[in-house]
Amino acid sequence: MPESNNILKIRRYISSMPSLPTTVAKVMEICNNPKTSPTDLDKVISLDPVLMGKVLKLINSAYYGLQNQVTSLVRAIIMLGVNTVKNLALSTAILDKLADKSGFRALNMEGFWRHSLCVGVVAKMIARKKGVPAQRLDEFFAAGLLHDIGKIPLNNALSEEYVKAMALADRERIPIHLAEKRAIDMDHAEAGSMIAEAWHLDGPIADAIRFHHDVALFDGKNADIVLAVAVADYYASREGIGFSGCLYPEKIAPETFARLGVPKTWLEEIDTAVAAEIEKASIFLKVK
Amino acid sequence: MFSVKIWGDRGSMPVPGPDTVVFGGNTSCIEVRCGKRLLVIDAGSGIRSLGDWLVRNELKNGPIDADMFLTHTHWDHIMGFPMFTPIYVPGTTLRIRGPVNFEDETLEQIIGSQLSYRYWPVRQDELAAKITYQSLKETVLDLGDGITIRTKYLNHPVLCLGYRIEYEGKSFATAYDHEPFINLFPTDPAHPDYDPLIAEEGNLAAKEENERIESFYRGVDLLIHDTQYSAKEYKGGKQGWGHSSFEYAINAASRSGVKHLLLFHHDPNRSDAELQELELFYQEKIHGKTPLQLDASREGMTVHL
Repeated sequence: MPESNNILKIRRYISSMPSLPTTVAKVMEICNNPKTSPTDLDKVISLDPVLMGKVLKLINSAYYGLQNQVTSLVRAIIMLGVNTVKNLALSTAILDKLADKSGFRALNMEGFWRHSLCVGVVAKMIARKKGVPAQRLDEFFAAGLLHDIGKIPLNNALSEEYVKAMALADRERIPIHLAEKRAIDMDHAEAGSMIAEAWHLDGPIADAIRFHHDVALFDGKNADIVLAVAVADYYASREGIGFSGCLYPEKIAPETFARLGVPKTWLEEIDTAVAAEIEKASIFLKVK
Repeated sequence: MFSVKIWGDRGSMPVPGPDTVVFGGNTSCIEVRCGKRLLVIDAGSGIRSLGDWLVRNELKNGPIDADMFLTHTHWDHIMGFPMFTPIYVPGTTLRIRGPVNFEDETLEQIIGSQLSYRYWPVRQDELAAKITYQSLKETVLDLGDGITIRTKYLNHPVLCLGYRIEYEGKSFATAYDHEPFINLFPTDPAHPDYDPLIAEEGNLAAKEENERIESFYRGVDLLIHDTQYSAKEYKGGKQGWGHSSFEYAINAASRSGVKHLLLFHHDPNRSDAELQELELFYQEKIHGKTPLQLDASREGMTVHL
């Protein structure tokens, strides 16, 4: 069957999205390696002048309150250490990809952002609760942040259709991904999966993007991160933190909580911590 | 009155026992008196005795009111908090300030989580004292009553602040846990990652950052500086652990016109006999070469400024 016009439009939009190799993918690879040397870190950040500018701005932001301006990455690494700069670069690189406000039509960018941030933060908290090793925590954060990335091409390339999808979800009280499928032929998990492929993202983050609405059937080796993102997504929608187009999220089955190894009741205890974490993470958003 | 009393000066872990009776086995805690104001730097295991002393001697004069400054949140600097008796006394007011890494929880969560059932029989919510938390950066604080505090980031694996307190024309500073900044980039042209520009920039950055630390405590009447290692130990595998050598601290203090230096954050394996020997060795070594007065910190000692 020939691809529908809509899918072609999405494909075209994704191929025109900024590519990733020198930024996020590389930064993630370098930053997830606990043995990263100062030279590796300097190199990977310096490759992308925009990223470097943002990392330096962040270091000089009110967050650290440094009395002397830091204008070189080499100095930043010597002063704050490899680990701190690594984390700054990683968060900046990922958040930056989502911060492009141009062309946001049906969905409100701020709401989308806040939702993504909340899912990232909660996915990381779940990972911590589960005792996931420290070096993998950022992967959960990144997976949560990027889980809805497929909504960007749907919303931007097909904004009229996306408004219809949202109206359909509203009218029939169904989750947005089912409405997308009916209105556009493709849901955001599928579109996200195409982006992951274009960006050469594979493994856990790609699985979280592709399968966060199909957890019941997913039994791959990255189930821990996929389940964590699904539960975090449910939490963010239920609590109304941000808005990503979904007013009627699917309930999470009790088996899913059992597989994840985190009780549903735990979600009742984390409100204050989530708010504080989002507040901290949004510092990155203010750095332009 | 401006005085500094040591309630704990040991690094890493409390080490009670016959080998640590002279210099003490408790981890960091310093009581600072500026007139009627009480400042406490760090809540290591030494804070337990300070708390008991306050309850015994000062509670009768009215509720305890103190400003607590944490250099950083490594465990040896906060572990005594649950045993600081004034937190259980109604009427106590405690303003806790300290640096927090971006990735970490809030200061309240980090300190307060020690008071949860898994670690301790009393929860933070049950404390009688009025406690406020404030995360601190590089800044200058006016504490009122003529007390000024300047903070400076030091070089340690976690965000760590040095404090410089000025009161009635006198000054006192802390520089622990800290090791000198070094160029982390390869400087050997034979190294595969060598880049002459980066090597040079790294050398300059390390030099300038070390100068900034020295200007931070320049001319103080009393400096408490990290001296966990000897130069030999430092070079022999402890670089990057965030602690200084005796040699570095003494040279830097002397260069900066510090009047009195206390060697601090003693290695847990250092016995009284060894510390006494080291103290004497360095006192003799600098004698006649610098006006710097040098002593190893002893638990229970008070320095009047």
